[in-house]
Amino acid sequence: MSFFIKRMSRRTLVQTLIALPALSLFRNRPDANADHAGPSRADPDEIVEVNGWILKRSDLA
Amino acid sequence: MIFDSYEAYRAANFAPKVCILGSGPAGTTIARKLGAAGIPVVVMEAGSRDFSDESQDFYRGTTVGDFYFDLDITRLRLMGGSSNHWAGWCRVLDKQDFEPKAWAPDTGWPIRRADIEPYLPEVRDILDLPDFRPDVPISDDIRWVQLIKSPAVRFAEKFADELDKSKNIAVVLNTYATELAGDGKRVTGARLWSNGQDAGSFAADYFIVCTGGLENSRLLLWSNQRSNGGVVPNATALGRYWMEHPTFEGGDAILGNYGAFEVDAVNEAFFSPTLAAMERLRIMNFGIRLIEKPYPGVKNLIADLACTAPNMAEWMSSKLSQNLRCAAQLYVAWEQAPLASNQIELSKTDVDHAGVPRIELHWKKSELERRTLLEGLRLFGATLIEKNLGRVRIADWIGNGADYPTDEETAGHHHMGGTRMGTDVTRSVVDANCKVHGMDNLYVGGSSVFCTSGQANPTTTITALACRLGEHLSKVVFV
Repeated sequence: MSFFIKRMSRRTLVQTLIALPALSLFRNRPDANADHAGPSRADPDEIVEVNGWILKRSDLA
Repeated sequence: MIFDSYEAYRAANFAPKVCILGSGPAGTTIARKLGAAGIPVVVMEAGSRDFSDESQDFYRGTTVGDFYFDLDITRLRLMGGSSNHWAGWCRVLDKQDFEPKAWAPDTGWPIRRADIEPYLPEVRDILDLPDFRPDVPISDDIRWVQLIKSPAVRFAEKFADELDKSKNIAVVLNTYATELAGDGKRVTGARLWSNGQDAGSFAADYFIVCTGGLENSRLLLWSNQRSNGGVVPNATALGRYWMEHPTFEGGDAILGNYGAFEVDAVNEAFFSPTLAAMERLRIMNFGIRLIEKPYPGVKNLIADLACTAPNMAEWMSSKLSQNLRCAAQLYVAWEQAPLASNQIELSKTDVDHAGVPRIELHWKKSELERRTLLEGLRLFGATLIEKNLGRVRIADWIGNGADYPTDEETAGHHHMGGTRMGTDVTRSVVDANCKVHGMDNLYVGGSSVFCTSGQANPTTTITALACRLGEHLSKVVFV
């Protein structure tokens, strides 16, 4: 067991373990400085087809 | 004069100049025009005043290719023809329907819409129509098209008294023209069948074939076969380029203000593409009909939408809880690309009671039409978004590329083509005046002369063309 883990409380350890799966959300995030617009910068008026629905991107959850 | 049998007609010694075969909208309209011009005309009607299974049996046939209606169900063989089951929707073909389209071979008419527009006031009187209304552009891509409703005029009912009193028109019921005889320049006579037997040959100066969008081809194919090409000398296109209006439920729409498009008594609205959109996407014409969606279907639609766009679903749900209508079924009818392979042939094995081969209809929808259906719904969906009018959901079978359903409307019972109009004798049967190429005294009336089908119900255009042909003949036929 490493030095850091030995120094962590049991509560902190459990919270860390719970949070681990969420780390994948931060992987492959678009570069904020990139030229292309990623999902976070997509045109909200763009027309998309989802499950047969013809929607505006801003309609999506 | 109306005669219930050929025998009674013969006893009257009426001497017509023109013989019209068929008393449907085209035949009756042409007869009235000629009668009004003082030209004696006889109308031979194969059926009687009333529907009968025995008469309908002459219309049985088979279909090869896509699923289609039984051929003895999709039309009527009695006085007034198929006007007896007409729903009454009226609209002239669009101006763009008459124009050639680079992306669809064999489109384009030898006449323009302007050639039939002068007859529209007359058509209004015949079909008891309110004023035609101009289309309303909704976006650069979509028009709100204005169909109007006839009280569904039954030609036999409306005009029987006038025909009976006419001195120039004789309608002969229960008299079936089984074939025409010709020498390659003129029709020399018609073989008649009456009272269950051959009734001999009948002669007139002019013959007008108005027996319907399937039967016109059948009669001419059989006549040509019997007379070794003497009735339709240029027969390459005879029976070919047959068209319908395929009609399927294409999906659903949710609408912010359903009432905005309600103008007809039946609360239906219709939308079509602009020519610019058709050119850009290289698709055919289509019509999307909005019909109010029943309550249980709306709930399912909300549940479906909630998975994808919860805010929209919540809005829709609030509308529904306020008893406001907010959803429509989208029925799509579209223009078929004219294809020579969609054709009427004569059965080699089956004949009717008079010995005339029955129809074998070869009919398939094309890939271009499938694309028209999908792109049409996308265009409509994009327009609803652009104008903040609502949202569209395309039916799964269309998006998935699955087969056409066989439990839906299928088509409009609109039989077009087979004796199409044109200038090229290898690709058409009649000229711009509906005269059979190469024949001096043989004309065709009805939707079989259509070169393209557009998306509009055909009766209005049939009647306008009949008025035009009647006027033309009244100048050609000398008494």
